[in-house]
Amino acid sequence: MLEIKDLKASTGETPILNGVSLSVEAGEVHAIMGPNGSGKSTLAQVIAGHEDYVVTGGSVIYKGKDLLELEPEERAREGIFLGFQYPVEIPGVNNAYLLKAALNAKRKHNGQDEVDAFEFLKLAKEKMAMLDMDPKFLNRGVNEGFSGGEKKRNEILQMAMLEPDLAILDETDSGLDIDALKAVAKGVNALRSPDRAIVLVTHYQRLLDYVEPDVVHVLSGGKILRSGDKTLALELEEKGYDWVREAANA
Amino acid sequence: MTALALPDKALASAVKALPDNTLAANRKAALASFLDRGFPTPRLEDWKYTDLTAVAEISQRWLENGALPPSAAALQDRIAEIRAAIDIDWIVIGNGEMLDRGSLTGIDGMTIAAFSDIAHAPGFDHPLADLNAALLPDGLHIRVAANSTRARPLGLLIVDGADSHPGVAQARIRIELEAGSQAQFVEYHASLGDADHYANSVVELSLADGASADYVRIQGRDPKHTQTHRTAVRLEASSTIRYSGFDLGGRLVRNDLDIDIAGREATALVGGLYIAGDGQHIDNHVRIDHRVGPARSEQEYRGILGGRCRCVWNGKAVVHAGADGTDAEQSNHNLLLSDRAEIDAKPELEIYADEVKCSHGTTVGQLDDAALFYLRSRGLDERDAKRALTRAFGASIVGHAPIGLLTEHLTEMVEQRLSLLGDGIDA
Repeated sequence: MLEIKDLKASTGETPILNGVSLSVEAGEVHAIMGPNGSGKSTLAQVIAGHEDYVVTGGSVIYKGKDLLELEPEERAREGIFLGFQYPVEIPGVNNAYLLKAALNAKRKHNGQDEVDAFEFLKLAKEKMAMLDMDPKFLNRGVNEGFSGGEKKRNEILQMAMLEPDLAILDETDSGLDIDALKAVAKGVNALRSPDRAIVLVTHYQRLLDYVEPDVVHVLSGGKILRSGDKTLALELEEKGYDWVREAANA
Repeated sequence: MTALALPDKALASAVKALPDNTLAANRKAALASFLDRGFPTPRLEDWKYTDLTAVAEISQRWLENGALPPSAAALQDRIAEIRAAIDIDWIVIGNGEMLDRGSLTGIDGMTIAAFSDIAHAPGFDHPLADLNAALLPDGLHIRVAANSTRARPLGLLIVDGADSHPGVAQARIRIELEAGSQAQFVEYHASLGDADHYANSVVELSLADGASADYVRIQGRDPKHTQTHRTAVRLEASSTIRYSGFDLGGRLVRNDLDIDIAGREATALVGGLYIAGDGQHIDNHVRIDHRVGPARSEQEYRGILGGRCRCVWNGKAVVHAGADGTDAEQSNHNLLLSDRAEIDAKPELEIYADEVKCSHGTTVGQLDDAALFYLRSRGLDERDAKRALTRAFGASIVGHAPIGLLTEHLTEMVEQRLSLLGDGIDA
């Protein structure tokens, strides 16, 4: 589904990704772990199409298409979803508007009928119930005055509504209490299917207790230093990131 | 004396041609004052950014054409449209004439009269008020009875325009709220017609002790037309005015809102939204005089500018000596959607008292890139994402408008206005 080859990207004059190669197949859950500043979030943002990052080399093929040629909104409509590490507060644009506009933009792109207000509300309430969210959130400004946990749940709600083919969750687990973590995990697990791929970008192993990955990668210095199965995450937790870096340098 | 004078003789004969009523003597005095002063020019600090040359030029051509009263064939259609959109009682001033005088009676708690009915002579303390008083056929006088409360807003529709020849129209309204009364007003300015047009209006509001007024001004003029509008408010003790102004149309628009806080514990909450696109110039000047304290005033204005346009916001609070306990706040935020748009924003505080709390803040900015990317990453195209963020920027002013039943109409008007900005939004 996603084929990244030797991807290099920088912001301003600073190179951040120094040749990332990664292959994600449908049905798989990948975890990308790494220390702060390793390039994890940059990788997620580059896949979503953020203009602050300039791709200086390599390629990203998604469902057979050159992803780097597409605008951010085209990527979203093609089924890519980025769960933000820091979801943006947008006072005055309410959640219901965003969810409905996003859903219909995607449906239109896929040649489906747009959902009407009634169908939309039914669907939104169903997904909110799964995530233990108060339906009142629909009428509030996007992330406006939300707590950290509420913002992350809201990201998962958007993901649940949009049912992406490829979901990339950027540190969605950071700063969550145990209830919010479980709600997020529930949302992610509900999305798991043989047709979809999920990439979890995370600093800690904690989320992986609830969402079991098929492959774990360690990113450091803008490169993937090591890949393995879920036991790699446990090993990292025990020995720390220095262990991988030392092993790579040896 | 100035480049912006009008020809004496032509103006005098236009004044002479007006209906002979109790206003006649007052008109002559006002005319003399206008001839003496002329239109304000950019040499005056208060008029630095707004040049009335175009207004003087339309007036001159109107005079050359025999100072005919403006006439637009479709005026009645426009009136019907507005009546249908906002279902309240309306008093209509069409092309400077009070239409449908018969409907002016029978509004609870209000006494409504023409100036000529009660021999009221409108004052003239400013060049534009001079011109207004000189050329005014008649004015509208509204008195709200002491301690009366009216649940439904009264609509004041000032609509004009000309099809075949340049038009100039005056409108004047005086509203007196007696002690303890409460009322709501919607002042709506509209225009139509292909010919150039200049509308000059003056509204005076006086609130006696404990009175309260909710007031919304909507300016939806044709983008070819020009307007100067003055509103003077006097607040006695414990009175409250909540005022919102929406400027969504017009080519050259200048609004002055002057509020005089003359009584203790009075409150003035004023705000507005201006949206300008290609070729528009919209200037809002607000001045609040705190003569006594304690009293509170708040100004909250926002502007959305696209294309090649210019807006001016000048908010001033003057705290006079002895007005201790004054609380005055001002804020003005502007969203520039194009690099050809210009805003001249100037908050001013003049403080001559000791115990006061005053603050002001002004911002000029573009759409937030992080918010824009967030919306696009959810599948909204750039245009829709920009529209949503722009709409959101204006929504707080619409939400704060003091008359709830207008929210839907205002939201729709803003939406329509924003959709017309179209190409004025830089990619």
